[in-house]
Amino acid sequence: MKFEWNIEKYVPTFSYGIFMVSLFTLSFLGFWGALLPLPAVLMTKLAQWLWGLALLGSTWAALTTGALGLELPSPCREVLWPLPAYLLVSAGCYALGTVGYRVATFHDCEDAARELQSQIQEARADLARRGMRF
Amino acid sequence: MGNQVVGLGLVAVSLIIFLYYTAWVILLPFIDSQHVIHKYFLPRAYAVAIPLAAGLLLLLFVGVFITYVMLKNQKGTKKAQ
Repeated sequence: MKFEWNIEKYVPTFSYGIFMVSLFTLSFLGFWGALLPLPAVLMTKLAQWLWGLALLGSTWAALTTGALGLELPSPCREVLWPLPAYLLVSAGCYALGTVGYRVATFHDCEDAARELQSQIQEARADLARRGMRF
Repeated sequence: MGNQVVGLGLVAVSLIIFLYYTAWVILLPFIDSQHVIHKYFLPRAYAVAIPLAAGLLLLLFVGVFITYVMLKNQKGTKKAQ
């Protein structure tokens, strides 16, 4: 049974269009220009990240759906289509590893701890002298 | 002491997952399909399906936890009234 999604016809053309526009801005304005098509005042960091994601996403979509008509070798296509999932998993692993590393290398400051304890004792004695009850 | 063990454990786990997943997604397509190493990896579709399922499960747990905490707070304020 063949089920046809009509919108599928337009996805390659749409991503192809975005890819060409981004290529154009990249070549004329440089890398940061592609991330900042508007003056810096108008484009927030969120907008920059979303724009960057849109560029990369459309490039990936254009390449995986073959909209550019490039005949990529089979292993390259095999690597390309799971790429977003791969990048997400790698980012997650990096985050987990960084957290673990920071937990492992967190130093106890024994001198500072002792100093703090003695200061607490001082403060309690001082306040008790002035009549405060604990 | 305990902190260091937990920290290094996390680093080791993340490293193992990263290396296995990199081999699965990036290296395997370039290795001849008759090679014995393919025995140690699931079919390629699982490389996207398993992280997707894990992500959805994570969202489920987060949602359930939030619901539980909200219900507990609600019940708490009702009792106070």
